[in-house]
Amino acid sequence: MNTGRVVVLEVTRMEAAHLAGLVTQFAELMEDAASSSGDPAIARLVPDAYADDDAASEDFREMTERDLLERRRQDAGEVLGSLSEASALPDDAEPGDEVLMELVELRLEPEILRAWLRCLAAIRLVLATRLDIRSEEDHDVDDPRFGIYEWLGYRLEGLVQAASDDD
Amino acid sequence: MPPLADTDVQEDTGTRRDEQGQRPWQTVVWNDPVNLMSYVTHVFREYFGYDRTQAERLMLAVHHDGHAVVAEGAREQMELHAQAMHDYGLWATIRQAPQ
Repeated sequence: MNTGRVVVLEVTRMEAAHLAGLVTQFAELMEDAASSSGDPAIARLVPDAYADDDAASEDFREMTERDLLERRRQDAGEVLGSLSEASALPDDAEPGDEVLMELVELRLEPEILRAWLRCLAAIRLVLATRLDIRSEEDHDVDDPRFGIYEWLGYRLEGLVQAASDDD
Repeated sequence: MPPLADTDVQEDTGTRRDEQGQRPWQTVVWNDPVNLMSYVTHVFREYFGYDRTQAERLMLAVHHDGHAVVAEGAREQMELHAQAMHDYGLWATIRQAPQ
């Protein structure tokens, strides 16, 4: 597997801005996040490591939670860093402006690409918890958050393919 | 002779033991409806260093059987693997190999 690949992601400024907004929300959720808050989305990111042993799971979480959640924050920061130029829109930009549809190339170095993959996967886990997705068939066409969830899945799929395209 | 007898019993029950006679620990990855199949395969390749065929077989085992054992060995090592899987967003647990 080629782990040294630079992947180029082409997005419009509008998509970059949407993505940056979503990752910012995720970063805000991760700020001061702790499983003790009872938020099921946080719990999904630091799941039980022992199916039948609550005490062992709790010990494991005490050892790993801080690093796991810190990683989420770092990854979000990396993704926002690589989006910062592309997602910067003129203050007077309005819907329909050509500048929003301008295509920008994001060059993702291997380490940054790994952060992107983890970050998009983690945001989908959070969204899936909020949307109560319990099976691959769960879908509500009237809820725009499903559109966001699927858009992230599409982008993640493309990046995974690009990262592992070595045949 | 007892050692031989023990070996026979082990084979009969299918129970594996390490040098100390302990059942090994396992890292188990569970299916979830969110993580993409391609992403799970990518994780198995990147973290465990499996080739594409091995990684896809393991991913499909998770997908179709609901879970798959991805590593076996000392408990501390399995905890490191589980943490690594959680780091990728996969749902992994640790257990002692079933009797």
